[in-house]
Amino acid sequence: MTTGIQQNRCRRSIARRSLTAAALALLLVALLAGNLARLAAASESAEPTPVGEPAAGETKEEQFDVAKEFEREVLVALPSVGPVDLSITKGVAYLLITLGVICVGAFAVNRGVKMQPGRFQVMMEAIYSLTRDGIVGSVMKSGQETWFPYIGSAFVFILVSNLVGLIPLPFAEGHQLSFYSATANLNVAIMLALCTFLFTHYAGIRKNGLARYLVNWAPASAPTVLKPPIWAIHAISEIFRLVSLSVRLFANMVAGHAILAVFFAMAVVFQSFLASVVLQGGSTLIYLFEVFVAFIQAFIFAILSAVYIGGALDQDH
Amino acid sequence: MDAEAAKFMGAGIAMGVGALGPGLGLGLMIGKALESIARQPEVSGEIRTTMFIGIGVTEAVALYAFVVALILLFVA
Repeated sequence: MTTGIQQNRCRRSIARRSLTAAALALLLVALLAGNLARLAAASESAEPTPVGEPAAGETKEEQFDVAKEFEREVLVALPSVGPVDLSITKGVAYLLITLGVICVGAFAVNRGVKMQPGRFQVMMEAIYSLTRDGIVGSVMKSGQETWFPYIGSAFVFILVSNLVGLIPLPFAEGHQLSFYSATANLNVAIMLALCTFLFTHYAGIRKNGLARYLVNWAPASAPTVLKPPIWAIHAISEIFRLVSLSVRLFANMVAGHAILAVFFAMAVVFQSFLASVVLQGGSTLIYLFEVFVAFIQAFIFAILSAVYIGGALDQDH
Repeated sequence: MDAEAAKFMGAGIAMGVGALGPGLGLGLMIGKALESIARQPEVSGEIRTTMFIGIGVTEAVALYAFVVALILLFVA
């Protein structure tokens, strides 16, 4: 009986694994086919140019243009309320997709909590315990229960947003498939950093009082002469935390998407079918590395938020 | 050298030199972390967490260089 169940389970897991492998292979083949089609189109239109000079103009058009990451391309035009423009741009579309994925995931995990957890529940529990014990529990000395919700949700939001950005979606011009994510938009990254910045000072002032919080920026054990410069340096570093938190997230995502776009457009860059087939393996490796980066960036944002808020709560230098 | 060429060269140099320091720093840090994990495997979790914080902070320096290169190429 047990062996039968085990066999069944084994067979099912093998089936699931081969399904996953087939889906991955399909995705890769689709990307490769897209590459080849684009190469064919490029070489067709580049026919008149001499062989010695590769079609520089054509290549440049196909290549990744970072300036486009900063453009606000309106997808759905909506009326503006006062100074707030409600139009749905690419970034807003990605934000809404992220929100939808998080909501669906939250409902799905809340509906079927079992004593014997399935694969999905184990994954969600792993994320929960990572943020709770691995990030908040290991970094903050006090106020863990108060600040866990913020840090946990920031982690989940950035993680889901980064992962959604790795799925090619048709939001580029002419509904081409492209990589983009809400966190690759400097505005979103700055707002996330601003949340951490405000919460840090709110937490510090609420616990220590405004005057004591500000005085404690310079350590009490320092010599009196050195206190003002130390205080000034600390004040500057508080401002630069805002810059470093937002620019780190933003630049990591933009750099990742740029590398992915360049690698997946290898066929066009090298003007050769063979190179694209060979380099598809390299593109896949880079893609897997970007999945890792998406996770690491969410982790770093959450853990640095925890460090900053914890530092404002317990000001012993 | 005209302004356009200088822009490209500046961007390349900014990225290349800017990646040098963080590369050295990351190598040193991860090497030390591996050493200490090998010495005391029982605290490997804590060491790994701290290492990741360090990686994030160090890597940001290279990304500032990347942003400067982008500004040189597309904005300046």
